[in-house]
Amino acid sequence: MQVPWNFRFGIVILGDSSVGKSSLLHRYTEGTFDESRQSPLGIDFKVSNMYFDPDVVIKLLLWDTAGQERFRSICKSYMRNSVGCILMFDVSQRQTFDRVRSWQQEVLDYVKPNPMFFVLVGHKCDLAVGRQVRKSEGDALAKKLNMLAYLEVSTKENINVKETFETLTRGIYNLFQQGKIPTRGDWQGLTVGATVQKESPVTKKSACCNCG
Amino acid sequence: MATDNRIHFWRRNPKVPGSLQPVYGAQHPPLDPRRHRLLKDAPKVNSLNTKSKKPSTFHEFARSTNDAWDIDDEEDDGIFSLKQLSSSPVQSRSMPQTPCLKIIKTPEDTEALPPSLDRQEPISTNPIQDRLDMGSGPANGRVVKSSSEAQLNVNAARNTLQKQQSLPVRPVIPLVARISDQNASGAPPMMVREKTRLDKFKQLLASPNTDLEELRKHSWSGIPREVRPVTWRLLSGYLPANRERRELVLQRKREEYFGFIEQYYHSRTDENHRDTYRQIHIDIPRTNPLIPLFQQPLVQEVFERILFIWAIRHPASGYVQGINDLVTPFFVVFLSEFVEEDVENFEMASLPLDTQRNIEADSFWCMSKLLDGIQDNYTFAQPGIQNKVKALEELVSRIDEDVHLHFLKCEVEYLQFAFRWMNNLLMRELPLRCTIRLWDTYQAESEGFSHFHLYVCSAFLIKWRKEILSMVDFQSLLMLLQNLPTIHWGNEEVGLLLAEAYRLKYMFADAPSHYKR
Repeated sequence: MQVPWNFRFGIVILGDSSVGKSSLLHRYTEGTFDESRQSPLGIDFKVSNMYFDPDVVIKLLLWDTAGQERFRSICKSYMRNSVGCILMFDVSQRQTFDRVRSWQQEVLDYVKPNPMFFVLVGHKCDLAVGRQVRKSEGDALAKKLNMLAYLEVSTKENINVKETFETLTRGIYNLFQQGKIPTRGDWQGLTVGATVQKESPVTKKSACCNCG
Repeated sequence: MATDNRIHFWRRNPKVPGSLQPVYGAQHPPLDPRRHRLLKDAPKVNSLNTKSKKPSTFHEFARSTNDAWDIDDEEDDGIFSLKQLSSSPVQSRSMPQTPCLKIIKTPEDTEALPPSLDRQEPISTNPIQDRLDMGSGPANGRVVKSSSEAQLNVNAARNTLQKQQSLPVRPVIPLVARISDQNASGAPPMMVREKTRLDKFKQLLASPNTDLEELRKHSWSGIPREVRPVTWRLLSGYLPANRERRELVLQRKREEYFGFIEQYYHSRTDENHRDTYRQIHIDIPRTNPLIPLFQQPLVQEVFERILFIWAIRHPASGYVQGINDLVTPFFVVFLSEFVEEDVENFEMASLPLDTQRNIEADSFWCMSKLLDGIQDNYTFAQPGIQNKVKALEELVSRIDEDVHLHFLKCEVEYLQFAFRWMNNLLMRELPLRCTIRLWDTYQAESEGFSHFHLYVCSAFLIKWRKEILSMVDFQSLLMLLQNLPTIHWGNEEVGLLLAEAYRLKYMFADAPSHYKR
């Protein structure tokens, strides 16, 4: 392992086709917005390290999935090895919002008995016209479905991108510290790595830091 | 499970061989003249054929799978046997009974393979390689580059080479342009070999009944650009071998396609088709996003119609992301018939309406033929892909244990990278010009898209073994596998890949326990 990490979280990004899953991830890991990208097929993978509480390094394994129904069986194996989920819809496409509930249910059914923690993302919030889902609706749904948060995000305008990943990671981290997430040997969703030390052994921090 | 799977993939249910055929798809192992003649002389008599009763495993395999290519032209066998006998230089030499076994003995022995590479040399399409060759001078023992682009590229090449030294990033190469890079017709000095090759194709194509076996044999190592469109139509089974019937068939099929459009295309807004159309509509702008040609509304509409009609005619799979990419090579190849040079920036609207329609219909039918063979890749739960990925794992574990164990160690699963390789026939891993070259062979090889592809994937994976083994953890390994550096690839790399795939297929296709540890 190149960078010692204290925790490793599997994170999966889900939602209907073309709600902007890949572009959100691309913005987060590469820092750019690229409209002309090919749709992912099956699964794409990225890695990012997040630095907390001066000495905690959390490695995020980020899985970007294809939204089309037919790929669901492929994507399931990634859900199983994830602890967090960024569930996205497009605020300008009402039907993508309507399907959030069934997405969540499907994921929870599938990962049982392991836990999965969600943030709900209303994407393309920069669109001034054509919005079909109000912010209050997103807030209410996230609360109702027991999600960690609802965020309105624009990848294009770089609004709330970093915050999405931080909110989810922080939320999971806190829950873990409170003893609310059990770890299992055969579950890769949340893995404990190097022991957290007061004197940080990590020297290469800045190189991979996306949130510093 | 693994065992079932292996059996499914490596050991084909032996069909009753209705027609004995010589092995094509591989020039590398020269055909045994005696065996070949025997086959040719008595194509329908199999019960008395003692030699074919104990064929090599490869022959058995090829015979049991070649039927897929029998496109109602079996009656031609007799006619062409003579021609084949006289035209093949191999025939006069005395060859051992089972030449394949003798020639390809060990994994290290690749000497049997170069002939095909050699043959495709003159049609190099690799601008970078061309450029590099310029630098190293013509005295490298190869056929002198005859492509006019090569000359045009000299200056660019020098500049590029200079730049390359300072820039870490490779220069951007046109993805489509020089797709094939053979001389466009009329271009200056065509090398003798290249010309002979082209002549051979022309001769085959001009004959009253094109000998499809011969055509496949020659196509395996690459099809010259100017005859590629018609050759693809023939190899895919869209055009009949009988020359007189072709025009009629084309006309009928094209009319049939536009009949579908008239009858069904309006239904894209209907309740039951709305989602299909929506998905297609979303994906089309994301198809080849970097190539201007595909951003033209006219071209996007062509793709939408083709995909929608295909999807509603194939409800078991419907439209699945990735299928959109599979239209591209056909479209580009059929379009290239009417474009002198820069396909990438060609304005589709400048073509007569009839021509546009013909390209569309032909693309539809050829894509349909392709998908017929791999539809289980796209049905519910995608069993075709799941099985192929498992078969890939199985194969790699036998041919390169180091790589396989390294995957295990890094906890990388084959599905994590190879899903896309199967779902998209490596199109996302290779530049488009390479895909087109690859498809020359896939269409020449029996079950090329559905079966041979597996060996190509294996060869492709092993090609990167050094890089793979140098990655120390899950993340770096997976990142490598998702972004393999093939941007500079051209015909030569694809040729090598195919030769290696052929070798693997020969060694492992019908030998489940071969090399098993």
